[in-house]
Amino acid sequence: MTELATMDFHPQPQAGEARPWAFPAPERGTLDNGLTVLRCHRPGQQVVAVEVLLDAPLDAEPAGLDGVATIMTRAFSEGTDKHSAEEFAAELERCGATLDSHADHPGVRLSLEVPVSRLGKALGLLADALRAPAFADSEIERLVANRLDEIPHETANPGRRAAKELSKQLFPADSRMSRPRQGTEETVASIDSAAVRAFYERHVRPATATAVIVGDLTGVDLDALLGDTLGAWTGSPAKPRTMPAVSADDTGRVVIVDRPGAVQTQLLIGRVGVDRHDRVWPAQVLGTYCLGGTLTSRLDRVLREEKGYTYGVRAFGQVLRSAPDGSGVSMLAISGSVDTPNTGPALDDLWTVLRTLAAGGLTDAERDVAVQNLVGVAPLKFETAAAVASTLADQVEQHLPDDYQSTLYRQLAATGTVEATAAVVSAFPVDRLVTVLVGDAAQIEEPVRALGIGEVTVVPAE
Amino acid sequence: MPMGHTATAEAGSEGLTVKEHRLDNGLRVVLSEDHLTPVAAVCLWYDVGSRHEVEGRTGLAHLFEHLMFQGSKQVSGNGHFELVQGAGGSLNGTTSWERTNYFETMPAHQLELALWLEADRMGSLLFALDQKNLDNQRDVVKNERRQRYDNVPYGTAFERIFRLAYPEGHPYRHTPIGSMEDLEAASLEDARQFFRTYYAPNNAVLSIVGDIDPEQTLAWVEKYFGSIPSYDGKPQPRDGGLPDVIGEQHREVVEEKVPARALMAAYRLPEDGTRACDAADLALAILGGGESSRLYNRLVRRDRTAVTAGFGLLRLAGSPSLAWMDVKTSGDVEVPVIEAAVDEELARFAEEGPTAEEMERAHAQLEREWLDRLGTVAGRADELCRFAVLFGDPKLALTAVDRVLDVTAEEVQEVAKARLRPDNRAVLVYEPVDDDADDAADDEAESAATDADATTDENEESAK
Repeated sequence: MTELATMDFHPQPQAGEARPWAFPAPERGTLDNGLTVLRCHRPGQQVVAVEVLLDAPLDAEPAGLDGVATIMTRAFSEGTDKHSAEEFAAELERCGATLDSHADHPGVRLSLEVPVSRLGKALGLLADALRAPAFADSEIERLVANRLDEIPHETANPGRRAAKELSKQLFPADSRMSRPRQGTEETVASIDSAAVRAFYERHVRPATATAVIVGDLTGVDLDALLGDTLGAWTGSPAKPRTMPAVSADDTGRVVIVDRPGAVQTQLLIGRVGVDRHDRVWPAQVLGTYCLGGTLTSRLDRVLREEKGYTYGVRAFGQVLRSAPDGSGVSMLAISGSVDTPNTGPALDDLWTVLRTLAAGGLTDAERDVAVQNLVGVAPLKFETAAAVASTLADQVEQHLPDDYQSTLYRQLAATGTVEATAAVVSAFPVDRLVTVLVGDAAQIEEPVRALGIGEVTVVPAE
Repeated sequence: MPMGHTATAEAGSEGLTVKEHRLDNGLRVVLSEDHLTPVAAVCLWYDVGSRHEVEGRTGLAHLFEHLMFQGSKQVSGNGHFELVQGAGGSLNGTTSWERTNYFETMPAHQLELALWLEADRMGSLLFALDQKNLDNQRDVVKNERRQRYDNVPYGTAFERIFRLAYPEGHPYRHTPIGSMEDLEAASLEDARQFFRTYYAPNNAVLSIVGDIDPEQTLAWVEKYFGSIPSYDGKPQPRDGGLPDVIGEQHREVVEEKVPARALMAAYRLPEDGTRACDAADLALAILGGGESSRLYNRLVRRDRTAVTAGFGLLRLAGSPSLAWMDVKTSGDVEVPVIEAAVDEELARFAEEGPTAEEMERAHAQLEREWLDRLGTVAGRADELCRFAVLFGDPKLALTAVDRVLDVTAEEVQEVAKARLRPDNRAVLVYEPVDDDADDAADDEAESAATDADATTDENEESAK
């Protein structure tokens, strides 16, 4: 080698002394109307994050009206007893606020972010939306039409299309989890303002809702602000809800969603697993990270950094819905895109990675790096109010204690290589994975069939 | 050891301070303390981006960014990623037209490791760079291109609109991802030469923000970076200057398999760093930012002709900035209907200017965006580098929001009148075609189209 410029080289430095950090503990309380409130002061976080959880899960949607929870959720920001839809959007933006919301299997979630100087006004608007939504006929009609327009865009997106197919494959047709969260063309078209209002009256009330408020609350009289806003929301008490049992078919098989001409194949390989109430969860988090948590995990070490088949493949576990009794479920999956000609070889390598892991297990070094990363990133990951609020809200939504995240960090640190190996190997057994491939069937079907990873069927994309 | 020049200034918002320093080899260093959380962000901006690329080598700056993660003299293979993640840090790098940035956010007690890693690759990348790394990352980048552009509907819209909005031979005409042909053609010698030319301490700014001891930090910077030689042979980038307006309307109609018709347009705007660019930012927020904007109210709420409608701003300092409009039509609505409504709204805005309430809303929204950006140590480190590299003064980052809030309704109207005109735009129209269209079209359609959501990310390519 020539022309290598010189510099003074020094040995790799050692870490300094770690400074203490702990996941923030929220203060929990209940307003007179039954609303549960979690509050958490985070110095310096001038943008306050507010999460509101409503006990309105997708399985509560009436038969044939899949999507009504989504339309209701969107309609919260389309006018109240005080403001028209346009005025409401304008007033929110005048606070410098953003309001995102979505309906999912565990319930409806609204996420407000606003500079602390305008928190009171924004909480007032949020409370109006929950307390007295207008649900005007014309706005609901517009939201329904808009939702119908979105569906073809989702179908054309390889990642979205794959997710839709995997849910359909895993769960029985009568399970809400088998069907698109935001409804189909047929069900959405049946939704009107009466259906939205009926869903709202039946499932939305302060007694079954929780608000999480995180940010720099110096000098903020939050009790007074809440009393005038979310505290003024009234509603009847409600019986606790039970979660329907979930069954899933993870018989190993391959479904190709045909997308002629696609230059890549979108992979989504998954099955159903336990939720965070199960003792195996920390070990599974650790093992899954070692398998596919980052660019240096086992999957990308081969598929990306050795073979160049992909921009990145990730393995993850995502809770779909939890119940206090531990009957909840999560989606365990591997996802990514590989170029069309290398689809067969990439899947072959992927299966080899899984088999090698099952045969030889993880190394102590892998386990150590994973723990150091998963636990070590906590202060970075929870720097913003929004990140803290989101995790606290997840805990509430999944019926976990408020100190769950701190406990998880302790458990991760105490999990050994053997436990992590066992957990990830049983999370991703090679013969119990449903493989969805969104790609050009004419090019990938034969090579995939030759791998022998399960029966192969081809379905149209639309 | 002589430590060059240090200046301290009390700068702007929330009592944040900025300390500047320059090593003898020309590396500019910016330090900002914040002890609220035990984390430290390291950000390194190299003054090189896709505008520095030459014909036939588009995508080289970004491909090179990937190679920076493939090891250096004392760091093997994926060691950079492994060591940072193993220390509880997070990291990445991105490439845009005007710069390439690399960043690590670390638990504060691991800061020294990040500095050692960045210095090792700045000073010794060529010890590790080889044909195998190049070939592997070339394949990864081609798959990145396929995943983010070629395999999604409307994925190449951004590329197409840049080709329409900038003249032939202009340094900003191609986007950082580059073309498949040029990626294929990049050689090991190209990569080596690129490193020698641009990856020198005097072509970079290093910012370190968070729970740090400034004296200790500066001593580490001096220790690890101080002996890396500077390089004086960097060529001036080609001039990106252009007349204020395009002068005529450029237009392309793309017939592809996309889910709906779309009308996209780019307008030429004032350069980043000017008051007029801030005024344009406000104008675009009022016209097409969020769900109370004029275009959203008109097209989505009232006319109900569109499923999405909005404006974004791509700030560029060495060339005119771009306003980027994206409208996806509803149902069978035809593009001319949308276009007429857009033109009407823009003309009305230019004529009447913003209302006081619209100004209040736009100010509030942009203020929150700035609070978000400066609310993390990583965001702050990136902004300090940005203002240092592009405008020569990192402290400007802390007062940027004040400058936006200072812009008046008259200035907003003025920039809209001067720039948001039909003769100052490039228009891209998508017309969907059927599945059964001739297979021959597939080769061409390898460069189909975008995800509306991805618009804001499209100015950056990322290593991870």
